[in-house]
Amino acid sequence: MEEDYFSIDAILAENQKIACRFTIDIPDMGHLGGGGERDITRASTLQLPVWLVYTIVLSNWADMIMPPAFGSKVRNALKAEPCSVRLASLVGAGGLWYGFGKTILEMLADEGKQEMSNLLTNTFRKRLVEVIDQAQHFAALGPAGGVGPTGDSAQSFREGLDATERELFALAQEGSKRMKRWYEESDKPRR
Amino acid sequence: MSLPPSLRQSVTPPELELIACQQLVEIVPLISMEKTAFISGAYGPLRPPHRAKIPIWMAVNLKQKKKCHIIAPVWLTVEYLQQKLTQETTQAHFTQLPFRFAEISRVLLDVASDDLQNPDKLRTLLKDLREARQAKARAGLENLEHSTLGLSNLSAMEINEIRPFFIQAMAVLGQLQPVFNKDRNTV
Repeated sequence: MEEDYFSIDAILAENQKIACRFTIDIPDMGHLGGGGERDITRASTLQLPVWLVYTIVLSNWADMIMPPAFGSKVRNALKAEPCSVRLASLVGAGGLWYGFGKTILEMLADEGKQEMSNLLTNTFRKRLVEVIDQAQHFAALGPAGGVGPTGDSAQSFREGLDATERELFALAQEGSKRMKRWYEESDKPRR
Repeated sequence: MSLPPSLRQSVTPPELELIACQQLVEIVPLISMEKTAFISGAYGPLRPPHRAKIPIWMAVNLKQKKKCHIIAPVWLTVEYLQQKLTQETTQAHFTQLPFRFAEISRVLLDVASDDLQNPDKLRTLLKDLREARQAKARAGLENLEHSTLGLSNLSAMEINEIRPFFIQAMAVLGQLQPVFNKDRNTV
């Protein structure tokens, strides 16, 4: 998610296409859209890779259409219950929903930025507790425990974890395991 | 770095235990020993039945050879911990406990449980305390900010436990903060 040039996560997060509506005619560039037309006409919509969107949007050649992963449907679902949305499946392989959101965030105007940032931050914060809870639960199960918290919601929450959350999950689990190991060793007398 | 990933995040509980064992504890020696110089300082002389203050690691060593009795620190008693537990469960903030209480209590309960009063009750109390405090740390997660975190009276072991994911989560929150109009104003 960081802006480091060499960050694999940043590269993966930008591996997305964003729909853009052109505001001007661009002659002889129709092949970019993969279609048969010769020109890109005004008000036509094309799916463009993120790296191209930066330039085109900043030059005011096209308007970005909010990708469905951050559309009103998802927003409403997140407002209702952040933990029941499967973030990973919203953005395809890799599942870097926050990373993609951060990319979009940078292309928005100031008022949009704040709103987008609030959306991402609130979602992250609300889901974090559940992430850590489940991580600790799994750490407590030990190596033998295969079955997680019962119920489909927990299972589906885990499957829908964004890659960033997955990383946190692993960190929390590792930490809890270490603590558990340390506390349990203490049950034996040391000689 | 050639350290395995698990060691890069933070120190491990055994390492914290090692650090905690530098602290001094009172003992009643059963052998006599002249004042002896160690790297960390000179300890002794040990003259039974007078009390002496020596580092925990040394006390543990002597105790294992049955050459001393360890005097429990004032906070490692049922009454004190009971009172702390009551405070912990009735107040919103963390109660003040010795910074390395988790490590020291574990070491002493391990090797010197016969020198402590009611070690089983102590274990239960410490466990309850730990759980009550964990629940508070968890509640703190919900209000996590990207820039600051205030959890006073947290002990070394607890800080160490939550450090990796708190840092990571705060970093993510920091990334999600909007950066307003540098030079590009958009759309």
